[in-house]
Amino acid sequence: MVRQYKYEPHLFRRYKEERDYFSFLSGILAQDPDPISQLSREITDITVERYDQIMQYAEEGKPFIAGYFCAAPEIYEAMDLPWYMIMATPFLAASAPYLLGDIDGAEAMGLGTDWCTACRLSLYYIEAELTPKPWALIGLIHPCDAGNLLHQSVARNQKWRDVPIFATDPPYFEDQRSIDYFAGELRRMVAFLEEHTGHKLDLDRLREVCIESNKQYELWAEYAQLRRAVPCPHGWGIGGPQCFAAVQVFQTGKPRGTQWLRNLLANTEQRVKEGVGTIPNEKIRYFWFDLLPFGWVFEFLPWLEEEWGAVMVMEMFGFTPYTPIDIRNEDTIFKGLAKRNLYDSPMVRQARGPADYFAADIVRVVKDYNIDCVIWPGHMGHKDGSASTGIMREICNELGVPYIHIGLDLFDKRYTTPDECKDKVSKFFSAMGLG
Amino acid sequence: MSIFDAYVNKVREYVEDMGARGRRMVQIQCPTSPVELLDTLPIRVGPGASSGLILRTDSFAELGNPEAGSCAFTLWTDRVASINNGRITLIGPDIPECPGASLPFGQVMMAGGANLTEKQHDPIRFTQYPSDRIEGYMVRSSSRYMWCRVSKDAASKGFCFETLGRALMAILRSDVPDVEAVEVVFVTSAKEDLEPLEELSTQVEKISNSLIAENWKAKGFDLYECSLGWDCSVCPDRPVCDDIRQIIKVRKVTGSQGETNPEG
Repeated sequence: MVRQYKYEPHLFRRYKEERDYFSFLSGILAQDPDPISQLSREITDITVERYDQIMQYAEEGKPFIAGYFCAAPEIYEAMDLPWYMIMATPFLAASAPYLLGDIDGAEAMGLGTDWCTACRLSLYYIEAELTPKPWALIGLIHPCDAGNLLHQSVARNQKWRDVPIFATDPPYFEDQRSIDYFAGELRRMVAFLEEHTGHKLDLDRLREVCIESNKQYELWAEYAQLRRAVPCPHGWGIGGPQCFAAVQVFQTGKPRGTQWLRNLLANTEQRVKEGVGTIPNEKIRYFWFDLLPFGWVFEFLPWLEEEWGAVMVMEMFGFTPYTPIDIRNEDTIFKGLAKRNLYDSPMVRQARGPADYFAADIVRVVKDYNIDCVIWPGHMGHKDGSASTGIMREICNELGVPYIHIGLDLFDKRYTTPDECKDKVSKFFSAMGLG
Repeated sequence: MSIFDAYVNKVREYVEDMGARGRRMVQIQCPTSPVELLDTLPIRVGPGASSGLILRTDSFAELGNPEAGSCAFTLWTDRVASINNGRITLIGPDIPECPGASLPFGQVMMAGGANLTEKQHDPIRFTQYPSDRIEGYMVRSSSRYMWCRVSKDAASKGFCFETLGRALMAILRSDVPDVEAVEVVFVTSAKEDLEPLEELSTQVEKISNSLIAENWKAKGFDLYECSLGWDCSVCPDRPVCDDIRQIIKVRKVTGSQGETNPEG
């Protein structure tokens, strides 16, 4: 039964601040004629538009949901359901000026500081009534215990007790049985969304979305190849995270997102043909095997380029495999979505199942991208991955490529300060003879 | 006897079946020594032979685009005699015939060596991905497909499946010295012709995953969450698991709020 949604303006205060923050970034980027800045601006623009859309739907009493990039956003798009992630603030707006205060707020609320900051912040925003309350919530019980805990907490949270929640159950292994099972989970998710939003899934519309989405993934995969070039055409400033934002979050199955990827590709191919790198003198090509340190990215990654000539050639979100969805019929579409969302989605694919994903990714990236060293940031919340640090170090030893586990918080720069990170990485580069 | 012996036979049956169905098939006998394999090749083979990247506009042909069909795996055996050393089997059209084409692509590399054991499984499977070691040839960096490009430059020099097969054989012999014999099967005929190979590939992958896990275990690492082969009676963590199972039981009985999957 579709519940009666009550619009509560105060829940949108922080959301509106985030929207304004992205709008501010768009304004700054608009003043820079550099093509890469313009590509970035397009991403911040579409981000702002999604924020506006959610707020508009809320005000007008139209259904919108909270969901995840790895829970078939193609379906949300086909059902005409605008969506946002309750973990959006840590991921998207992590450089916003209020972030550290909010982390303190979460701590003051008694949320454990050993719990992933992204999850901690998300629960804080709900408890502090700083997150829009959706018509329905698609939860996430993979790939990590921290995410699972967040959604269990949300399900029992008094403030959101009236928000229906559904979580797809992810199988552990990668085989046909798992794909069939997860396809069934996605069908259950559709039934849940139909029940609680009143929107129906039209198979023809889903097919259209998947066709467009397939184009987007193919372009993204093509872009990822171009970063193999020496020098690398782009650095940390543009690449996987923006492709992720376009393909899996804000423009899933939309022609505008496809065009953005074409523009990105054209820019990158041109730079590869001209031999233009992201910095004039590329000395170290590193693989950053995680999310970017979004909370303090401007204090660290530009420094690596300027001080060491170190270029982020590939990162976890950029190394996303491409599985086209077979659009022949409903069965093939759902199985294709299951495969894509279980085995392709960045971070989820590595951390969900057997630890060999970490090792196998390192082997391919190191060899194909001419990598000089692997940096496992060791985000305090990524305990699943950090449990595999021995495996990663071992495979790097076998490949003869230096490996470092820093140990930091991607969102809170007080955990390991940017200066401490710089010191650690500098010693590492020097000791390995990379600098 | 090796774990993949049965699959070497199944690949042979597949090749025979393709022949019986009238698929165009060529078998090429190449030299067997690594040096001779590379002797008359029109392109360079070895580290840095290629930039590792071929742009779309520089591509002569594409192989294994997922839309067109893609399947690849490696097999090895200690029964050297079961491998036709130096043989390349091509089912379907060759590269020079297909300018601008996007071909389905199947690739099976079969290695034989009297001293081959499970320990060499990883290095053998990784030789499928030559990275920058074959001039004019790129395997796209993706964990899932054998999706490749041949450059126009390489095609103009005569790059064909014999070239590719010889280069792959040489790389495999060089990377894994215990390999004494290599045979390669390429399929480009049709996407449907890859389906029997995909069925084999699924089984091979299961075995491969077990070998990978065993090899990691031998190094002291467990790939799976449960490390004792699911023999709970000897596991020191059993009390913890028992507690968790008890909590799940209680939750199932009392019912959980919301609609999270109770089996999740």
